[in-house]
Amino acid sequence: MHGSHAPGRRPELRIVAVLVTGLLFWLLSAPLGAQQPRTGGTLTFIVSAEPPSFDAHREVTFALIHPARPHYNLLVKFDPLNYPKVVPDLAESWTISPDGTTYTFKIRRGVRFHDGSVLTSRDIKASYDKIIFPKGDVISVRQGAYTMVASVEAADPTTVVFRLKWKAPSFLQDVASPWNWIYKADIIEKDPHWYERNIMGTGPFKFVEYVRGSHWVGARNEDYWVRGRPYLDGYRAVFIGNAAAQVNAIKSGQALVEFRGFSPPQRDDVVRTLGSGATVQESGWLCNNTVVFNSRHRPFDDARFRKALSLAIDRWGGSTALSQIAFVGPVGGLLRPEGPFATPQAELEKLAGYGRDIAAARAEAKKLLAEAGVPEGFEFNLLNRNVEMPYRYVAVFLIDQWRQIGLKVNHVVKETGPYLADERAGNFDAAVDFNCDFYDDPDLQLVKFLSVELPNGSVNGLNYGGYIDRTLDRLYDEQSRTEDAARRITVVRQFEKRLLDEKVWQIYVLWWKRIIPHSTKLHGYKVGPSHYLEDLQDVWISE
Amino acid sequence: MASGVRAVAQARGPAVAAGRRVQRRWLARFARRYPLGAMAGIAILGLTVFAGLANHLAPYDPLANDFGTMFAAPGARHWFGTDAFGRDVLSRILYGARTALLVGFAASLVGATIGGTVGVAAAYFGGTTDLIIQRLADIMISFPIIILALAIVAILGSGTFNLVAAIAVSFVPRIELVVRASALSVRETTYVEAARAIGARHWRIVFRHMVPNVTAPYLVMLTAFLGQAILLEASLSFLGLGVNEPTPAWGLMLSGAAVEFVQRAPWMAIFPGLAITFTVLAFNVLGDSLRDALDPRLRI
Amino acid sequence: MARYLTRRLLLMIPTLLVVAVIIFVLVRVIPGDIVELRLVSGGSFVTASVIEAERARLGLNKPIWRQFVDWMGGLPRFDLGTSMWTAAPIAKEIALRFQLSLQLAIMSTLIAVTLALPLGIAAAVRRGTWVDHLVQILSVAGLATPSFWLGILLLLFLLSNFHWLPPLTFTPLWVDPKANLLQLIWPALAVGYRYSAVTTRMTRSAMLEVLQEDYVRTAWAKGLAQRVIVIRHALRNAMLPVVTVIGLEFAFLIGGLVVTEQVFNLNGIGKLFVDAIARRDYTMIQGLLLLVATVYIVVNFLIELLYVWLDPRVSYG
Repeated sequence: MHGSHAPGRRPELRIVAVLVTGLLFWLLSAPLGAQQPRTGGTLTFIVSAEPPSFDAHREVTFALIHPARPHYNLLVKFDPLNYPKVVPDLAESWTISPDGTTYTFKIRRGVRFHDGSVLTSRDIKASYDKIIFPKGDVISVRQGAYTMVASVEAADPTTVVFRLKWKAPSFLQDVASPWNWIYKADIIEKDPHWYERNIMGTGPFKFVEYVRGSHWVGARNEDYWVRGRPYLDGYRAVFIGNAAAQVNAIKSGQALVEFRGFSPPQRDDVVRTLGSGATVQESGWLCNNTVVFNSRHRPFDDARFRKALSLAIDRWGGSTALSQIAFVGPVGGLLRPEGPFATPQAELEKLAGYGRDIAAARAEAKKLLAEAGVPEGFEFNLLNRNVEMPYRYVAVFLIDQWRQIGLKVNHVVKETGPYLADERAGNFDAAVDFNCDFYDDPDLQLVKFLSVELPNGSVNGLNYGGYIDRTLDRLYDEQSRTEDAARRITVVRQFEKRLLDEKVWQIYVLWWKRIIPHSTKLHGYKVGPSHYLEDLQDVWISE
Repeated sequence: MASGVRAVAQARGPAVAAGRRVQRRWLARFARRYPLGAMAGIAILGLTVFAGLANHLAPYDPLANDFGTMFAAPGARHWFGTDAFGRDVLSRILYGARTALLVGFAASLVGATIGGTVGVAAAYFGGTTDLIIQRLADIMISFPIIILALAIVAILGSGTFNLVAAIAVSFVPRIELVVRASALSVRETTYVEAARAIGARHWRIVFRHMVPNVTAPYLVMLTAFLGQAILLEASLSFLGLGVNEPTPAWGLMLSGAAVEFVQRAPWMAIFPGLAITFTVLAFNVLGDSLRDALDPRLRI
Repeated sequence: MARYLTRRLLLMIPTLLVVAVIIFVLVRVIPGDIVELRLVSGGSFVTASVIEAERARLGLNKPIWRQFVDWMGGLPRFDLGTSMWTAAPIAKEIALRFQLSLQLAIMSTLIAVTLALPLGIAAAVRRGTWVDHLVQILSVAGLATPSFWLGILLLLFLLSNFHWLPPLTFTPLWVDPKANLLQLIWPALAVGYRYSAVTTRMTRSAMLEVLQEDYVRTAWAKGLAQRVIVIRHALRNAMLPVVTVIGLEFAFLIGGLVVTEQVFNLNGIGKLFVDAIARRDYTMIQGLLLLVATVYIVVNFLIELLYVWLDPRVSYG
């Protein structure tokens, strides 16, 4: 800017010149596609929490995925632009044996780790062995999701074979898990804990620095195996926990996006300030809030009481209202409203508490309360997690709903650690619970509703309500073994009716809604129902 | 302690009227010499009345969600506007006064009473007892009050009752130190020594001679820490570690949505903050005047 | 006097030891532990054996006395152990935040002292006039206003008037002084107001006390020149309690700003403490509590040194 006054003495002329040039540029480039990716620039985005360790095999928080996933690749991955399609990542192709128990992956040649060493099938095997068969004091939180795997074999440097004990319909999606980062075999062998505090992957970005409480920086991997990627020179993830500060960061242009999800007022705030400089993307979300009833406590052992509690909730009205202030919204049953197993609207409205006539539902609820012998003004505790969004909003809503059928609810809020401990120990009357996943899979998502003691004698640690329901156990097995998709859905519907309408062991409040308001400078990003998928490989920013 | 005084007064019968007259005369003199303090006292009285009558005064149910009027600006229907759940901010502030006063009075009463008792005991027994108590108090004081309260809330869990306990405990060493210092000055006086010499029981000496002498610092500390307690309650509730939703409480009203939507609905942040400031201000002014009137050398 | 100071310095060691014991006990009675939070908070299915293994790895299954011995054993070597959350050394984690907290404390102190001394002295000298009343009102209000609320209002003011907000990440002063000051000046103001209120009150009352002493009254009566000289002396004496208050407030600011740091999104000691509590990161809570207590004890010691230096009447044997 300084000194270059040559094009025009008068500033107005200069501005006109710039505008005309810009217009010409736009006219010329528009037909070619305004989406011509630009290489360069640093993307600054917000992460609302901080990762404990750097090892995704042992962590469960998006706070690790968002800043660190771009350093790694997976075997196969969900296409971030076309969820839930599974596309090649380090495996360039795969075959499944006719009986469905052998998966053979062909590994890409010439992929290098950031230290220059070449990736082979040995690295894949070592990474998966660490996830499925952890040795010694190595922790793998997803070990339980791969009980069907008998062995992982590196047949030759470019072939990996997974042998399964039984046929698992969604095994390919299981392997696309965004948590299964591929590590280097030599390092794992030397020190299986190395990856908890260090980064060494094959991903589009190399690790630069992490200042705890502040930021995480990645720089372009110049030798990345996808030609011309990544587009960005680098990225900077800034850690901001405070919701107001997050909005302020986007409004002031200090960050371009946050990849988990904003609340509607946060969105409105961003849009009001940035105007046409903001793009809003929205999607359903594979997360929801439920309420668990402790069937070991009276009167929660009475299905009539539990059903009354579900009937009292105006889900449709709540959806409209809460979706204005919190990132919840869609009314749904056991599986994601927009997903492949979603309950059709007409069927949904037949379930207890899903009807459109809330006055009638509340009258029925009061009748049930009387039948169950629960007096007006009955008091109970609602355990909740000390997380503002959306837990606090959901609880305030529930307490108000239950007040309207004459119940008095004490809100017991605890930090996440003690909250989980109380849930496991059955130390609650009712508890606001949550589920979050990366893929719609009844096997995965219904397992927590199985009886606390299974027929084979094992204990279901996820059943906080402490009930035994053999019908649910039977229906679960049946849907899991059913190969015909339509038939499977029917069985899942039966499971849902049993759980939500007849026994009401647990209730669904609302599903979450993902709202990503971001700067229009951000391209190559598409919001999907899971917030665990972004790897920044195809993301770019315009000037 | 106050009930003890009353019991004695009642036993004496005719002395009651005289006692009341003395009290009234003292109050009149206090109001003349410390007009600001008197005004603060009246303000606190007024606040207490407002809090007590909240169920009659509040225009709306402080808990009722009204999704038709979320984030309504202050106006004729809602003088102080509404919050994210369409709840009336004025009604929540009125009910919130109950929480503030309850937490404030309970925490400072418990804290001052325990602190005062320990302080007197330390001063009376002296020696090793005193030394150990002083060391412990010194150590507890070395943590900022909010850090101590946070740690205790972490142990006990959140909620109004636990909050009171946490605040009271963090006050104890601070009050103990001041009361002990006042009690010490009495211990060496001749009448206490005389009482000991004639073999009076411990509790008798303590209650007859030492307690009346530490009443002034006790009252002053009580008032001063009332404001502190309300501020602490606000801070902890702001962090989500104090009073829980949907209980109306000022600090809680400032947290979460109030900050998040400060530009869209600034009234959600402004009015509860003002309520805190004015209440604490009143308690502080009253505390200052009480100190000047009762025990001017006291440093708090 | 050297002997006295050495003795005081040595006395700090047993005090800190007792502090360490109390802290350990306090922290271990906090219910719930970090393992639940780390492994189950995503809602995923984790077997009991995995949870047990993680507990073992963090040393949480060792007997309490053993954990205590381990922790105490490290203290003489200034080894505070490693964070249960990040596995990084506690000292390193704290050092990272300490710079910000220290700078904020210093800036707030500067603001407070610059405001408090002239105001406090003016109020004392002109006792009962409108100056005095104004100063008193300002300082009583300062004590009553929650700093974090003032912070919220400050941000609201900046946003609605300038559509601007302070930078989000911390830049050290020597790297970029402008960015650094632009970030920290606002919280320093919010905190500094309360701080200056405390200091003003103390300055005023200490000055009043000294001004009532005979030699000052006499000087006052005799006329201006002498008055000035004596007031200087008076000030010197009145400074003792003022310095004490400043010192204690300063110690409080290192770690005590838990709420203000949340409002301004500052990566300081206070935020670290709140996070550590939320995560049940026992080792980190222990380390931080020990740090704030140590700061307090050291500041107290320094205040005592100042006493010796400022007031020749204080003698020590």
